[in-house]
Amino acid sequence: MNLERYVYFASNDFQDYEFYSNGPNGKIRKIVMYTKIQDDPAMYNLAFGDADADTGVVYDNVITNNQDRDIVLATVANTINEFSDRYGNNWIFATGSTPSRTRLYQMGIAKLWKEISTDFDIYMVIGMEIGSHSRRISTMKHFW
Amino acid sequence: MPSANNKKTEAIETGYGRAIVSDKVRSHANDPFFVKKVEEAKEFMLKHPLPDHLKK
Repeated sequence: MNLERYVYFASNDFQDYEFYSNGPNGKIRKIVMYTKIQDDPAMYNLAFGDADADTGVVYDNVITNNQDRDIVLATVANTINEFSDRYGNNWIFATGSTPSRTRLYQMGIAKLWKEISTDFDIYMVIGMEIGSHSRRISTMKHFW
Repeated sequence: MPSANNKKTEAIETGYGRAIVSDKVRSHANDPFFVKKVEEAKEFMLKHPLPDHLKK
């Protein structure tokens, strides 16, 4: 992906990642974590949130509004590459904490579609059905 | 292996890049936020399992 992204850091087991969003609202620590949620086939959950600067508590219900959405999404996408390089080709489950967040991620995927679709098969859930991702389909959940 | 010491933490780069391994990145496996997210994901997959043709 030839996109701007933040420098990002990984734990020794490459399941936890951190980077810093930098914008008008300051420097915000972002956390990305991968957790195995099922076997056969193996699937990992991608969770993403902001860490409070004082307490370190992670949350995802505040709008950061740091005017760097695309850079943040590209950085998260980079962690998927890094994680997959370490753990192989597995299913990765991701969803937004709210319908509007999910919509935001869907738009991010659509914007990066050319780059993402060369490396990943993407599926989504609409209602009860899992199907191939299309740029024009409204998505509820995403799988890589 | 690059280290966290020689990069500004909020630096922007372009294109795919490897992560910088850092001992400062701790596991969040027991963080209530992530525990809840994982439980929700598991619950979702129980209700919406992958169709057979996608199980490799």
